[in-house]
Amino acid sequence: MNEKTFMRLLAAIVVLGVAATLIHLAYAVYAYQHCSIIYFIAKELW
Amino acid sequence: MKRRQILTLVSAVLFFALFNVSMYFVLTRRLSNNFSSATQAQMVDVGSYLPHNEASDLPDIDTGLMLEGELPVLDGAAALVPVYAAVIDTVYPEGCVTFEGGEFSSDNYYGENFAPDSKMQYRNTVRGYQAVVDGTADILFCAAPSEDQKAYAEDRDVELVYVPVGREAFVFFVNSNNPVTGLTTAQVRDIYAGKITDWSEVGGARRAINPVTRLEGSGSQTAMNAFMGDVPIGPKSPFAITGGAIGFSFRYYMDGIVENDGVRMLELNGVYPDADNIRSGDYPIIAEFYAIYRADNDNPNIPVVIDWLLSDDGQRLIEECGYVSVR
Repeated sequence: MNEKTFMRLLAAIVVLGVAATLIHLAYAVYAYQHCSIIYFIAKELW
Repeated sequence: MKRRQILTLVSAVLFFALFNVSMYFVLTRRLSNNFSSATQAQMVDVGSYLPHNEASDLPDIDTGLMLEGELPVLDGAAALVPVYAAVIDTVYPEGCVTFEGGEFSSDNYYGENFAPDSKMQYRNTVRGYQAVVDGTADILFCAAPSEDQKAYAEDRDVELVYVPVGREAFVFFVNSNNPVTGLTTAQVRDIYAGKITDWSEVGGARRAINPVTRLEGSGSQTAMNAFMGDVPIGPKSPFAITGGAIGFSFRYYMDGIVENDGVRMLELNGVYPDADNIRSGDYPIIAEFYAIYRADNDNPNIPVVIDWLLSDDGQRLIEECGYVSVR
């Protein structure tokens, strides 16, 4: 793989990863504002 | 492909995958939401408290009162659904609770399909206060109003009457695996003020504290603001979300309605929030809940319902619903 192709592939992975993470974060923020805090605390990992 | 390139690409994929999987286990999987019908039970399973339904989990109170004529529309907070549903079950005639489409369903956005002419509604605290001010509910069963809710009524020149009909403990709770079993009221204020940030400072494990708050205007957040008094709720570190959480609610909502074994109520100043300690006044944070109506509402059955709630039979209903009477 030449360097140009590699950089394009890397850029695509980063863009997709960032997009997926931002969507995940946006969902988490929205869901956190509407969630049951009893359930939220009950599901905590100890 | 060079080995360095492969390692870089795999590392990039793993970085995003690990970050999102970690976020899922720490946060996302715990977010059970009230906008899904499948999780409405986390607020209150209204279907278990439908009046005039043999399968309902409502107390059976013998009383000499049966309302006739113009029946007040009752509405209220999630934690008080059992109370006002029991009032309807006891003193309202059958057929006064109706549903869109004829059958009860909990599939809509807010979970229930009470018809507009039904004498039982369930809008919870925030929308319930608006409903009693706007006149779409006649009596609201709720905790004390927030400043915004008082202002909402004042801005519309509406005077509300607040009649205390029962008492309840305002409680703090943690995950049932959290080794801390009790706090002092001063420690709780310091936690929410941001002065105490780790459970090890109050005798617990070495782990950050995540002090959880509620929707502004909800009954429990209003009670929390009153508990904090002049002490402002402080900002918390964004990393606190990975810590051990502390939350607040009303005792019977936790203990009698939701009944989630994954959480445990805390002793406050060494006193556990049970009915005996509320009745005796030993538990330090006791809140009254109210039957609230517009002063200019001329429905003749409103004073009848209020007087009945304060009678021996009405107060017995409050007790049998799991709350503590005011008398």
